[in-house]
Amino acid sequence: MTRAWPAITAVALAVALSAPPLRSVIELSMAWHMVFQMPLLVAAGALAARALPKSGLPGKLGSFNLFGLTSFMAAQGIIAYWMLPSAIDRAIVNPGFDVLKLLTLFVSGVLLRDAFQRAPMALQLFFIGYWVSMICWLGIYFATTDLRLCNAYSLESQIATGWGLLSLGLLLGLAWLGNAWQKASKNPVA
Amino acid sequence: MPADRPSNRTPDLAASDSRAHHAADGTGPAALIKTFAATTAVLFAALLVLMHATDGGQSFTTETLRRQQISRQAELIPAFDVTLGNGQRSTLKAVLAPGGKVWLVDFVYIRCQTLCLSLGSVYQQLQAQIEARGLQGKVGLLSISFDPANDSPAALADYAKRMGMNPQVWQIATLTRWQDRRRLLDAFGIMVLPAPLDEFEHNAALHLVTSGAMLSRIMDYADYEAALNMAASMANTMTVAVPVAPPVAGRGPSAGIP
Repeated sequence: MTRAWPAITAVALAVALSAPPLRSVIELSMAWHMVFQMPLLVAAGALAARALPKSGLPGKLGSFNLFGLTSFMAAQGIIAYWMLPSAIDRAIVNPGFDVLKLLTLFVSGVLLRDAFQRAPMALQLFFIGYWVSMICWLGIYFATTDLRLCNAYSLESQIATGWGLLSLGLLLGLAWLGNAWQKASKNPVA
Repeated sequence: MPADRPSNRTPDLAASDSRAHHAADGTGPAALIKTFAATTAVLFAALLVLMHATDGGQSFTTETLRRQQISRQAELIPAFDVTLGNGQRSTLKAVLAPGGKVWLVDFVYIRCQTLCLSLGSVYQQLQAQIEARGLQGKVGLLSISFDPANDSPAALADYAKRMGMNPQVWQIATLTRWQDRRRLLDAFGIMVLPAPLDEFEHNAALHLVTSGAMLSRIMDYADYEAALNMAASMANTMTVAVPVAPPVAGRGPSAGIP
């Protein structure tokens, strides 16, 4: 039960940000939307999967998901979609799309938790390396371009988001490295 | 490295006699093929969605998607009641209708200090070019205020005077009913955000509207010269294409370029 609370808190906070009165926060600030709410949804999915007693896909389906590769790919698709400036605009303008955003990013978190449990370190490194470089590149682009990419946000907000994404990407990389280090020192053979 | 080191749940493809063992924990060659198929299917599904969302990998922003969509398929502008700078009440359709003109429409609010000022100077240059090239009968300029609460007809008239608008070329209008604001902005694909100092931030562009109030093209206002040439050639094809079926040789897209 103690594991359920972080998941419940993360879900509640992320969903609250999409509903009034907190919705104005993500409507006004691209950084709160993209650097806080979206990663929080992924984290909420991962925490929820951890809180469930027997997480991961049932055995038979598991053979379609060797090393969590299918989970990785699905999560990758979802996350890539919500990095599109047009998708970010749509989530702000269209409530149906915002619900889709909440659901799919949560699911991507569940998938990622499953994938990281199945994947060997080399495969984890491949995907983490890819995401860190993608998020950092996107962050630098958002922060340095003169183009306003989202009709829903000001250029100022976009620049702040860019630096936020860069920090997020670096943090993600460091977190994985720390985790890998811990595992490796516990179990040097694997 | 000892060859008999216990492989930590990693499938050992060389050892075909261990298939039974692998089938039990779901890591055998069958699982490898299943996973490959599932991953490929997921990858293709994701690529399909992404290609669809970006118009074939071309448009990543709402603005470019909208411009692509309009250039493929012109859209009818719905009916709006407007008030002109001279205080005269009219409809948007009536303003845009006369004489097979192509209109360059943009959106402004009069208190604007930043983007609208540069847009204003673009429109001043467009007006000068239309006058110099004698395109008055072909291309018209229309600025529409999206701030009807503040922009009264008197404010519009004052703005027209400040900008040196020639009413034969450049018209300014505001919505008669402010309730229409949302609908108007949606029709043209404009998103207005509140900005500091009581201003608005909005996507700005030149909207080419052809006869029958059809929104036919959206162009960057940095490309205003190209937009003017396109409007002029559209006006030519509109007047030529109606009575005669085959196009007149030698009067193609170059018409209108000095």
